[in-house]
Amino acid sequence: MSPPGITALLESGSHEWGGAAPRAVALVPTPVESQPSVYVRVAWAGRTRGDVGEVTVRAGARAGGVVVRLDWEVPLPARRIDDWNAYADACAVLFPEGDAAVTPIDTMGSPEHPVHGWYWRAGTDDAFSLTAHGLGTVERAADHPVRVAARWSGGRWTVVFAAPGVPPVGEGPGAGVAVPAGFAVWSGVAEERAGLKSYSPEWQSLAFGALEDGA
Amino acid sequence: MTATDARPQHQFAMVIDLNKCLGCQVCTVSCKTQWTRGPGMEAMWWNIVSTIPGRGTPRDAFDLGGGYRDGVPVPGELPPKGQWGEAWNFDYEAALSGRGHLEPLTADGSPPEWGPNWDEDVGGGVYPHSYFFYLPLLCMNCSNPVCLEACPRDAIYRRPEDGVILIDEEHCHGYRFCAEACPYKRIYFNEQRVIAQKCISCYPRLEEGVAPACVRQCPGRIRHVGWIDDPESLVHKLVHVWKVALPLRPDFEVEPNLFYVPPTLPTAFDDDGRFDESRSRAPEELRRLFGPGVDDALATIEAEREKVRAGGTSEILDALISRDWNDLLGPFTVDPGRLERPPR
Repeated sequence: MSPPGITALLESGSHEWGGAAPRAVALVPTPVESQPSVYVRVAWAGRTRGDVGEVTVRAGARAGGVVVRLDWEVPLPARRIDDWNAYADACAVLFPEGDAAVTPIDTMGSPEHPVHGWYWRAGTDDAFSLTAHGLGTVERAADHPVRVAARWSGGRWTVVFAAPGVPPVGEGPGAGVAVPAGFAVWSGVAEERAGLKSYSPEWQSLAFGALEDGA
Repeated sequence: MTATDARPQHQFAMVIDLNKCLGCQVCTVSCKTQWTRGPGMEAMWWNIVSTIPGRGTPRDAFDLGGGYRDGVPVPGELPPKGQWGEAWNFDYEAALSGRGHLEPLTADGSPPEWGPNWDEDVGGGVYPHSYFFYLPLLCMNCSNPVCLEACPRDAIYRRPEDGVILIDEEHCHGYRFCAEACPYKRIYFNEQRVIAQKCISCYPRLEEGVAPACVRQCPGRIRHVGWIDDPESLVHKLVHVWKVALPLRPDFEVEPNLFYVPPTLPTAFDDDGRFDESRSRAPEELRRLFGPGVDDALATIEAEREKVRAGGTSEILDALISRDWNDLLGPFTVDPGRLERPPR
């Protein structure tokens, strides 16, 4: 069930998006050779990946918080983990906690320069709020205010995250503010999980447009 | 740091005498009632007794990859739940009313295609050389644990005090590379909690000096436990001194700390129908499972038996017979019934 207040934002034509314009971000598969486990590097060498080449991003701000919407093409969705060898589609938005210029995105931060993010996995109603300081270090917050709504329709997943704010701006960045952000999607059908995903290899400027008031 | 660099202070080990295994699954049930009754654990059998020859649990368990070959991890396959065996339902009403038999049903009402110890007593060999034996399986706390290496989150660790390998459930994100990589397929997936789970060697009992449930409950008294690094322990002697206990599938290169006394099996017959003491009924099967050392191990056991038949004594057979139950338990002889327990 989608949380109230953001469900309408799943619709790209919703008037609530107001002046927030969509933007296409190119994605590439994460390099197998950079995976932290030898087993994964060997097992996935040459394997077919999800190869999601693009995600459309839209971000908006209004009193009380921000929303970020991702949508991407998935002809055959993996809607949930429904077997022991099944994996679900997923996506994430990542923000550097500090200066993006010295925060590596391809390793999900570093011990000195951590990152923060939001993660959604098909089959769950809740978002995960993450922090990381390098590959394999993702921690999920027990309590957090991030909410999520998701829908698969017409061969595309659409996911909307809503939160009080984003690092490093903090709570309530206004319309017109832009922050560095990264994006990733996982293909469940291709058995992608953990560091095996399609991602934006460089920080992108995520600009927040002004949202119209919703219902 | 590789997995093998982190040598524990002591290494917990188990020796299972396959000549004494009844296939009764009491070990399986004792584990089930102790540890796997929680949500998402319905179809988990951290300990299972399979029948050899057979395809195992999950189906074709030892042919799904994993482990190492020449030091390089071997990609593994994780089979779907149906190939492990789901938590079956039974139509008791049909059976009790006489409308049908007590047949197992999967969650969608269809008959199962596989299950734990599915091929029980199918056996193998050609008459008169037919044979079978039972093979209990559980986490082997390997000294070269490929599951630990496979986890990109370092959510699997080896306890420094006893070498028991555990999955940190708070840290596990359910990626299941570990389950793929385990060549014995002893790591399960909890679909509800999206985490991997496996045998924990009853470590809370070990910490109190109590042997694991599967060991204490075994009516055949087939399981020895102790520190493999203690030269005075029976597990050490059985494995390293007498060399009658062997690792399963040593070609997987994971250095398991669970060892098996191979089954001697009934003696083969010669062409005239007489017993041929020099031949095993299943030499190739035993070599495939336990490696080339199995011939010497079986020869040692047979020689010890011959000594006893001739009126002598055998320290090895005395150890395997274990007339005193506590001899099985190494340093873990505390009776759990005598432990103080917090009030419920």
